[in-house]
Formats: sequence, structure tokens, C-alpha cells
Amino acid sequence: MEDRALAHRALDTARTRGASYADVRFVRRQVEDATVKNGHLDTIDRGDTFGFGVRVIAEGAWGFAASQVVTGDEVDRVAALAVEIARASAIAKRSDVVLAPITPQRGTYRTKIQIDPFAPSLEDRVGLLVAADAAMRTVRGLRTTRATYEIWREDKLFLSSEGSDLEQTIFETGCGISAEAVGDGELQIRSYPAAGGRTQNQAGWEFVQKWDLVANAPRIAEQAVALLTAKPCPQDVRTTVVIGDAQLMLQVHESCGHPIELDRALGTEAAFAGTSFLTTDRLGSFRYGSEKVNMRIDSTSPGGLGTFGWDDEGVPASEGWAVKDGMFVGYLMSRETAAALGKTSNGTMRADGWARLPLIRMTNVSLMPGGAGTLEDLIADTDDGIYMETNRSWSIDDRRLNFQFGTQIAWEIEGGKLGAMLRNPTYTGITPEFWGSCDAVCSESEWKMWGTPNCGKGQPGQVGHTGHGAAPARFRDVRVGVVK
Amino acid sequence: MSGRLWTEPELRRICERALRATSGDQAEAVVLARTTELTRFANNVIHQNVASREASLQVRVVVGKRVGMVRTHDLSEDGIIRAAKGASEVARAVPENPVFGGLPAARPIAPAPSAYVERTAEATPLDRAKRVESLLRRSRERNLTAAGYLSTASGELAIASTQGVWAYSPSTLAAVEAVVMGQAGSAWTERNATDLARIDIDAVATDAIEKCVAAQGPRDLAPGTYEVVLEAYAVNDIAQFLGGSLTGQAVEEGHSFVGGKLGQKVTGDVTLVDDPFDPASLPLPFDFEGQPSQKVTLIEGGVAKAVVYDSQTAFRAGEANTGHALPPNPFAAAAPQHLRIEPGAKTREQLIRDVERGVLVTRFHYTRWVHQLRTIVTGMTRDGTFLIEKGEIAHPVKNFRFTQSYHEALGGTLGIGKDLHLFAAGEFSFGARRVPAMRLGAFTFTGSTQY
Repeated sequence: MEDRALAHRALDTARTRGASYADVRFVRRQVEDATVKNGHLDTIDRGDTFGFGVRVIAEGAWGFAASQVVTGDEVDRVAALAVEIARASAIAKRSDVVLAPITPQRGTYRTKIQIDPFAPSLEDRVGLLVAADAAMRTVRGLRTTRATYEIWREDKLFLSSEGSDLEQTIFETGCGISAEAVGDGELQIRSYPAAGGRTQNQAGWEFVQKWDLVANAPRIAEQAVALLTAKPCPQDVRTTVVIGDAQLMLQVHESCGHPIELDRALGTEAAFAGTSFLTTDRLGSFRYGSEKVNMRIDSTSPGGLGTFGWDDEGVPASEGWAVKDGMFVGYLMSRETAAALGKTSNGTMRADGWARLPLIRMTNVSLMPGGAGTLEDLIADTDDGIYMETNRSWSIDDRRLNFQFGTQIAWEIEGGKLGAMLRNPTYTGITPEFWGSCDAVCSESEWKMWGTPNCGKGQPGQVGHTGHGAAPARFRDVRVGVVK
Repeated sequence: MSGRLWTEPELRRICERALRATSGDQAEAVVLARTTELTRFANNVIHQNVASREASLQVRVVVGKRVGMVRTHDLSEDGIIRAAKGASEVARAVPENPVFGGLPAARPIAPAPSAYVERTAEATPLDRAKRVESLLRRSRERNLTAAGYLSTASGELAIASTQGVWAYSPSTLAAVEAVVMGQAGSAWTERNATDLARIDIDAVATDAIEKCVAAQGPRDLAPGTYEVVLEAYAVNDIAQFLGGSLTGQAVEEGHSFVGGKLGQKVTGDVTLVDDPFDPASLPLPFDFEGQPSQKVTLIEGGVAKAVVYDSQTAFRAGEANTGHALPPNPFAAAAPQHLRIEPGAKTREQLIRDVERGVLVTRFHYTRWVHQLRTIVTGMTRDGTFLIEKGEIAHPVKNFRFTQSYHEALGGTLGIGKDLHLFAAGEFSFGARRVPAMRLGAFTFTGSTQY
């Protein structure tokens, strides 16, 4: 039986068992990861997974069940189990689940790519990593080098009892290199284009070609070695900080993207991820940052890991503001949480594959460009401070107020020019105070769409892929240097 | 519903079918099957309630020094063969890895206590919902708000290879986590067991509610270096981070605080072991390569004694394989998966009574390496932080940010609790840690937040 017929069968079974609402997702995901380490192919891992999940409301409460056995009998079992689970949920309900309305959706969506990432030969794909790794190892003094890629394709079919019928195909490609140097009690790392092993976009193999790992390998390798003997970051001082876009995108993720999740604000993630200082009474009236700060929620941005045709509740992609001229004006919402505010969903429910429930996830939450010109212009406009680049460490409290980040590298800024390299840089602050101190954001020419393919949320745990555009920006009076 | 997906003969058939379909010098097949059922609550209601069955096959094929790997959830005949052939094709297409030491040969696996309890696997949605509702009712009665989950999970791990390996183990895990919140303050409780019947939901509710009431109205306390009593929840984080550095790979890559220091004092009087046979843990007598897991004393009385290995890191280091392989991945080849900090003699209350002035920390939140070689970690305190004065809990304090070397903090160990708390290493039913509460002489809080 084909997937669509099985999906209809799941909806029929759920209705027959007493569900007042049901949706079903069939998801097939193909992923290939490869890592070259110290000149050798360390791992190559191909994976495919295919299964379905059924989500229902019965007796006014939620139930969800999923399986990888794609047969008619299993579809019946899983749909019935989802209803049984919902009935169990109902013994602890205080009111019935209410969903914000949507018009039933029908259609297809496919990521626009230039080169199917699975099309180049395996030899060519791995060969590029070998070349990048070798280019790092031309520099003496390294302990460990890594070069990695991930290519990804996900095909999704969504049907709901309200009549939606949607097919989507999403491609992603990610890549990165890193170099580590060790000596005299120090461990230093440099990576490119971003931290965490790789950066990722919705794109084809052209994404890997764009970043030119081989050409950038010697530079980051030399920096890793140089950091071993670089000046320590000044300790516990307040100064001006210019932050590069690859680091700032994570700042956006942690200190704006998560606190604007409405499920957090409403308390439904309280035990694990936490809640949010952006409580519902602050919507539209709270000053989140300076007037230079504009954050956008946009699931239509080309390349963003949060781009799609419809979310996993069948709500169309949308764009809007989270922070406009420094004011907090918008949440990431689901149909259920939007209804709690008397609004409609802006389409941010996303599930990690077939076996997990959709949750509110960041789509693409981006710091929009300002008018400060290039990074060079911004540094030239800064008399004294520190320029920090590429994440090394990140942590933030459970309401998303107190944060502390470390970066891989920094440089002094003196008289509008970069000076000495600094090692072990960190900065810390309180979210609205920090964004309130932002007095310049670089212009559109410096703005890039970054990706975080490793955002954890939910129980059972889910890994989300989120997009964040950012340009370098400047912050005044920031506390710097916590590590002795 | 039955949480047990397969049986040992069925998983063996899948593994052997996969091995027969490979073409190479060596091959390995690993099946990880699990059922996860989780009832999640927040705002005193059940708001998410899920069940999923998953089983994956991982096939690794070796051709000379070339290695290919394919994973699939398709365990049909066609799916098994496709994965086996795919891994074989990859192994022929990729470059050699000259430091690959080959798949390990079979070695005898000692029996371990069972980690499987049928009634946990058989728990129904209603079984979980009733327990959750009893906790929520207690919370509502005190005008508090509870959030968390109760889960029951079962898993099976089966490993076979052309080198004669066959290993199989089923396991279960019942877990409850609850944060209970008042208007200004919250508290945390967590319990894990192989047997759902051993989760005392009333005790969970009592612990969380009583502490939550005590945590209301936190006051400011200046950041700085304080003597601390860390509840087991916080100590678990320290064990997890230090455990990640007590591996052959961490030493090889220069990440480990014990690199070049085996035989030297690295902490205070603390003994840290990895004990896969601990009956009070989640025992597992073999690793993800089907190699026998060994009990390893990592730190004894503060002296670094050993690190753990899988086949490949052992081969490269010229050391014996200790049987601690993780599933193949680019980041960590091996890890201690059954850590235990050996208990002391004092109750939690006695640890607190011994403190003239210090801070009681319930748990840490969002901890991350700042500098792994120096074991510097940053994170927040959460869900119950208190000032201790003259051996008594004086009042709750607002949460701190800390930036602290974990092994240096253990260097100032002043007391270790006698009761060990079991923590699952993940949401699945393989791997765990058992740790006590601890009293440490100096812990550095570098900032604070607004609540």
C-alpha cells in the first residue's frame, strides 16, 4: 500500500477510535556524514530511516505514537495507540486542547539546489576532505585536524483530518574543518567556517564548494598554533566588543531564538529547556535591545535550515518580526499556543523525523543588517575594544537572561585597527542589557545565513536544524574575561 | 503494550543475515532496538504523551584498511541486504585508514546482573498517567506548578561480527523528572530505576514540593568563591564531564586532564570507577563492539589510575582494550558508561551541618566546556540554591553562574555522602552513573542572574 493510502488509513483509524483531530507524517531521511581526521578517513556513515508518526486529540488531550514498520496493520495499531495515549492524557487535563484555525493546505515544496549533494562521487566528496585536512597539516605544531561534511535529504508527507495533504523534500549540506594545537597546558582550536564541526544550509554540494575549505585551511591552522602563545584575554574588565557574525548567530539563537518560543513562555518546557524572560505580558511593550536591533522570524529565507513550505502542523511558511527597533513584538508559535493568545500560528512546529512529536522550533531567526558598513569599517570606527570570532563555549540560564560565551580567537582593537591576538576570550552579560548596548550592526554585504544543525529540545530529546542570519555588530560596556 | 520488540534469536538472525550479505575482509552488525514511552507534564497537566518503536541496524565492513558503514531502520530482508551491500561498496570506494587496527576478535563476556524488568516494558499509558496525576494533584494542592516527565523505556542491543563476536542484552529504564515551581523559586527531583515499581512517585512529590516551598523568595548573594554542598544532581554533571576526559582518545588528542599524569594526584580523596557490573546501576557486560567491559578504577584516592579504550584507541595507544566502545561516531570512540563515585560516610544533612558558611546547590544547568584540558566548565545553578550558615540552611539565594575547573573543585573535597543516586546516561536504557552528594571547599561563582 502506498504511503498516502496508509496515511488516510491512519486518519480513518484514529477517527474511528474517537479522535477529534489527527495528523500523520511519513518521513524518509537519508544522511551521509564523513570525517577525515589527521590525514585519514576516520568515519563514513550513511543512514536511512523511514517511518510514520500519528498525532491525535481525543477527549480533549494529546496522544502520539510512531513506528518504522510501514504496513496497514501497524498503521492501525499505532493510530489506535495514539488515541489510547490521548485518553490516558485526559485523566490529567484541566481543559480541552484548542487549535488556532487554518485553511486546509495542499501542495508540494522542494529545496532549490544547484548540485544534488548525493550526486558527486564518494571519491570526490571524501577527496575534498582529504585535501582540506592535508592543507591544514602543512602547518607544523598541530595535534589534531578534522575535515567533515554532512549531506541530507528528507522527504515528508503530511495529512491531517482537516484535509491538508502536503509533500516536501528538503536538502541540506554542511561542511567544516578544525585544527587543534596543544602545548604547555594549553589546548587551542580554530575552525572554519564556524564552530561545532560544520556549518550547514539548505543547499546542494555547491555549499561546500562556496566555502573553499582547502584555501582557508592553512590560515586557521596557523591561528591554532599561534593561539598557544598568544596574550591571554584581559581578565574581568568591561570594554567594547565587536562580535563576528559566526559567533553572533549563536548569540541570536540562544538569547533571542529560544526566549521567543511561546511554549517556553507558557511554561510547557519548564522542566527541561526552561522558561523565558519574554513573558506574554511583555509582548509589544518590552525593550529587548537598542533601536539598532532588529530580529526577524522567516521560514522563507533561501538557504536557512528553518526554511520550508509548511511546518509539521501544515501551517504555511511565514515571515515577521520578533524584535523591531529593539522592541519585543513576536513569538514563534504553534496552533495550540497561538490559540492561547488569541492569535493564529506563524508555522514553527517541527519534528525531528517520524518518531518524534512536532515542537515549536526556531525556523530562521536572524539579526537583520544595519548600516555600519563592512567589518573593516566597524573596527575602524572603534577606538578601543576586543574583536571576537567563532564560538568555543556557550551557556545561558533557563530563562535566557544570564549568558556566557567563549570564542576561539580574539584580537585587541586599538585606534581603529586590530592589534594583538588574544587567547581564551569570553564575554558575559544579561540578555536585554547586552542587546541594549548594541550601537552598530554591519551592513547587508556582511550578512550571512548560518545554520545550527544541533539544537536540542524536548523530551524525548530532539535535534533541530535552525537558521540564523547575522552580520558583525558592536556592543559597549561588556564584561569580558572570566577564565583565569 | 509490550515494550520488547524482538527476541535474541530474531536479532541474531538479522545480524547474521547482514554479515552474510557483506563482501569484505571483516564485518560487524549492530542492532539497537528500543521502545520509548514518555508522559510529559507541565502547568499541572499532561501536555505531551508519546510512544515510539525504533530499531536500527548498523553494518560496518572492512576491506584491508578501508572501512565503510551504513545504518538503516529498514529491517526487512531487502533493507538488511541493502545496508550490507552499501557498507561493502563504501568500504571499497574510500581511502585507506592506515591507523585502523581491524575489528576486534571475540572474547569471553562475563555475565552481568540483569537490567531488564518485564513490568517496566509492559507499562501502559494509563499506568504512567495515573502516577503522573498523583504527583500533579499534590502540586495543585499546594498551589504549586509541576513540570517534568515519567517514562518507561526498553531496549535491546545485539552485536555480531565475522570475528566471532555475539553479544546480546535487553534492558529497561523507568525515569521520572519533576521541577515544582512556586511564585518565586523552584525545586527538582529525579529518579531512575530498571523497575517502574521502584519509582516512589509520592516520595518524588514530597521531595520536590518541600524543597520548592523552602526555595521561595531567593535573596541576592554576591558571586565569589564559596564552600559548597552539591546535591547528587550537580555531582552527576561533574562525573559526566570528567568521565568524558578519562578516555584514551582524550589523552591522544591532548584534551585530558590526566594526560601524562597517571599515578599522580589530580583530585582530593575521591575514587571514581567505571563498573559495568554494578547491580544498582544499569549493568551491561559488553560494549558497542561486543567486547567484554571491564571494571576500571579511573581515579583512586585522588590519584589518576587509568583511562578507558575501545579497540581502535587501544590499538593506536598500544594499550589493552577495556571494552568501552561507543557506537562509531566522529567525536568520541569510547567513554566510561557506568561511572560511580565511591560513597563516603555522611548523610546529606551531615554534609550541610559541617559547613560554617557556604552554598547548597541542587543542580546545574546548561553546562559547557570552557577549557577541556583544564576541565573548566561554565553553567548555572538551578531549582534550589541556598545559603548555608552555621550548619543550617539559612535562606534561598538567586541562581549563580559558575566558571570552575571541575577536577580542581574535587581537589578540595571535604566530605562525600553515603547515599548514591542513580542517573541514566541518556534517555535510552544503556549507561548510567551513580554518585553521592559532596562537600567541596571552594567553588567559584562568577556571576548571578535575576531569580
